[in-house]
Amino acid sequence: MTRRETTLLGVRHAVLVMISLVMLTPFYWVLKTSLTGENIYAYPPSLLPVRPHLFNYVDVWYLIPFPRYLLNSVIVSAIAVSGNVVLNAIAGYALTLPFPGRRAMIVLLLSCTLIPFQATIIPAYLITAHLGLLNSYLGLALPLMSTIVCIFIFKASFEAVPRSLIDAARIDGLGDVRILLRVLLPLSTSAIATNVVLAFIWSWNNFLWPLIITRDADMQTLPLGLARFLSYMEDTTGALYAFVVMVLAPGLLVFLMAQSSFMRGLTAGATKG
Amino acid sequence: MKRVLRSRFFVVPATIALAVALWNIYVSLHAHGLIAGRVVDADGRPVAGATVVLFAHDFVTQVEKARTATDGGGDFRFNDNDSHLVQLQAVDGKQSSQRITLRLWFRGQDRVLRQPLRLLRATGQVAPAGGQG
Repeated sequence: MTRRETTLLGVRHAVLVMISLVMLTPFYWVLKTSLTGENIYAYPPSLLPVRPHLFNYVDVWYLIPFPRYLLNSVIVSAIAVSGNVVLNAIAGYALTLPFPGRRAMIVLLLSCTLIPFQATIIPAYLITAHLGLLNSYLGLALPLMSTIVCIFIFKASFEAVPRSLIDAARIDGLGDVRILLRVLLPLSTSAIATNVVLAFIWSWNNFLWPLIITRDADMQTLPLGLARFLSYMEDTTGALYAFVVMVLAPGLLVFLMAQSSFMRGLTAGATKG
Repeated sequence: MKRVLRSRFFVVPATIALAVALWNIYVSLHAHGLIAGRVVDADGRPVAGATVVLFAHDFVTQVEKARTATDGGGDFRFNDNDSHLVQLQAVDGKQSSQRITLRLWFRGQDRVLRQPLRLLRATGQVAPAGGQG
């Protein structure tokens, strides 16, 4: 590596580090405030936490039914993630097969991605009500159990598998379901990881849909709990930020665990869709 | 199987589950609701018969939950605290101590005060809340 290349590499990394610091500063500030409870508008601000402690987290755990909200969010996210992986894989595989109207179906699905969820929320509510799923875990997860973006991530991943491999499996007597389960899915771990991460984060952070269909406080998820906590505890900055950290932490953890596969899955979706 | 056991998708959740289980075992062994301490006068002598009041946090304020009296050695104890955030104040006639705040790691955590509740010389004046126990 020449000296010029080394200098360029150093400059590039310095710029990336600076951008990373700018991106991470809000997260650091949330974490710092959760540990101290100091006034976020204090001037001059202290960069390092002063007398940090974890009691704000204890307050959050006990002052509101946090374990209940956590359990609800975990159940809803688990249903949404399971539904995404199963339904999107089936739909993605179907879109790789030849059938009349396939192209129109792809165009229809792609055009549906342009419609915001807010525009379909009334029909979604009515369908959920007719199914008798209001105020239930399945109802909470229903709109996120299959997402078009994730269907196309699976489709792109399945299309990247050599056709000869699928033909060989078919000659060996495998049906479509077994081809999907035994051949395509084991070769699409990146797409699965991407589906898991996206479905988890979307369902974990979902606020509007749970707000509309939950009737009991016992069925509320963490984002609703956060809004409720904010209305109860207006002057407890530290506890509020501790709540924010506790809501963010599982999503970050899932993303960090699957980040390499997630990136591969997104890249495959971007280049082969 | 070995590959699965070594993957981060197993190791991280398993580690969290183990930490949660250990923490819950610790909590179950140390959550009897015991809060004990001692009351002394301004000169540091134990005060017998002083009343100690326990206040528990109730969303926006502290409400009185229990009271007890010190024994001959100035010692007191509460056996049924079920809060994670309490305040203690000793009162003896017209003398009272500062109200100290006890922040516990979990509800009903057993806690013995390191510092005694010290009655103030000023009479009939309830000190503002503050200070760690």
